Amino acid sequence: MLNTVTKSAVIGSGTMGVGIAQVLIHGGIPTVLYDLSEEQARKAKETLIKRFSRLVEKGKMSEVEKDKALGRLQVTTDIRQVYRVGVIIEAVPENIEMKQSIFKELEENCPDDTLFATNTSSLSVTEIAGVLKRPSRLAGLHFFNPAPLMPLVEIIKGTDTSKETIHLLQQFVTQIGKTAVICQDTPGFIVNRIARPFYNEALRIEKDNIASVEKIDRILKIIGGFKMGPFELQDLIGIDVNFATTKTVHNSFYGESRFRPQYQQERMVQAKRLGRKTGGGFYRYESS
Amino acid sequence: MNPVNILIMGNNRLASSLSECWQLNNYHVVHHLENMEKVNFVIETENLDKETKQMQLGDIEKSISKDTPILTTTLGWSATEVASWLMYPERVIGFAAFDNVKDAPGIEAVLPLQGKESYLLYVTEQFKQIGKEVIEVDEDEPGLVYPRILSMIVNEAAYALMEQTASARDIDRAMKLGTNYPAGPLEWAAEIGIDNVYAVLQGLYQHLGEERYRPASLIKKLVYANWIGHATKKDFYYFEKRKNKEFTKM
Repeated sequence: MLNTVTKSAVIGSGTMGVGIAQVLIHGGIPTVLYDLSEEQARKAKETLIKRFSRLVEKGKMSEVEKDKALGRLQVTTDIRQVYRVGVIIEAVPENIEMKQSIFKELEENCPDDTLFATNTSSLSVTEIAGVLKRPSRLAGLHFFNPAPLMPLVEIIKGTDTSKETIHLLQQFVTQIGKTAVICQDTPGFIVNRIARPFYNEALRIEKDNIASVEKIDRILKIIGGFKMGPFELQDLIGIDVNFATTKTVHNSFYGESRFRPQYQQERMVQAKRLGRKTGGGFYRYESS
Repeated sequence: MNPVNILIMGNNRLASSLSECWQLNNYHVVHHLENMEKVNFVIETENLDKETKQMQLGDIEKSISKDTPILTTTLGWSATEVASWLMYPERVIGFAAFDNVKDAPGIEAVLPLQGKESYLLYVTEQFKQIGKEVIEVDEDEPGLVYPRILSMIVNEAAYALMEQTASARDIDRAMKLGTNYPAGPLEWAAEIGIDNVYAVLQGLYQHLGEERYRPASLIKKLVYANWIGHATKKDFYYFEKRKNKEFTKM
């Protein structure tokens, strides 16, 4: 196939970085996983070895396939190792200066045709690309957590992203076995924006005592056909994570009232009732 | 034949979908104000036009006894407001359902402030006979729970489409694959009736007076054009296609 990416790199070995690297090496693409910290990089490699071993145990992959996939992985703390690949995916924490300085450095050292992608979920792709001499080569590539399981990738077109960049990234996403959707550089992109009312309006309905947490979840599952209710799902995602996303989208739309957060959510965060991870959120969970 | 007679009023898909539910279970359903003394309960379904709903309910009330239960859709108004139009408001029960009610395992219902529980219990029992659960919601607001939340999701998707944030197909695909929704919001709206989504949003917008509920102008225009999905075969996708050009900002 024309334009097939033969090598890629992931910058940052946090949850998303490791998940994306897993998708890439599983999808047949030799990948350099870079992290600033030696310790982090080592842990990332161990995590990936464990995950692939588990896939073998579960019978989802053969020993040979596992060895092949892990053979495609190169973990490094030497940034120069990422300079000669087709696509570089940045997955560092959501800090605009950090992201900008990484891409600036990459632009100075990579060939002109290297594609740059950021896995940001809340920052403007256009702003990140703003520091580049050639912003046309950068787009958003928004993977969902957990990346190996979630089939969707949002490709975000910044103001100066070229059609060619979008086209090549579309092919790349297909190559790694995911489904791509294309989205303009707008707050929350598609999913995080349109899913807001599922949580936000449920919270409002609960606040106004129209129905209880349990009843709202039950109605949406039984009558609405949703697999999980909005409160169960907030408990699973983490109420703090969900609240942070709502606040970001609300602010990025200049306080548009459709996205206005509800105070109950903030109270839960203040009380450290964050959901399953703290043993309680909107529901209580027995610790095992 | 079941001895219970039901009067179902309203010229819309919800009324025909509901009629089918009862007829399949051998209930006798009538659609005109005749032989009224034999009607055991009434289902009234106007969602869009307030005057039509008021007139319809007025005509119904003139033709039935004062203690016949009236189940009325409250997508666009609170049950309390609808009850306030009647001479005998205590027999009013608000309910929320969409055009695909035939396939739904239940409906939501609510008592208006003026309502009496015994009427709700009677209707709940009747729905149970046809295998549908009536879930009682605690407080009465337009659109109750599921229609309100889904309509807000559809509204956001409609804004995103209007603004050309993404194509209709990508919006639907993203929501199914990115958050595991059973259907994409734009295709879902066509299934449940885009006019019903508009009724909920407009109802909340007027009742609560909050900007938050303002219907996307695209939804409003689709309702004016009668591109309300399903049988009309015209919906958000039709709107996007009829522009007859590539997704322009791509």
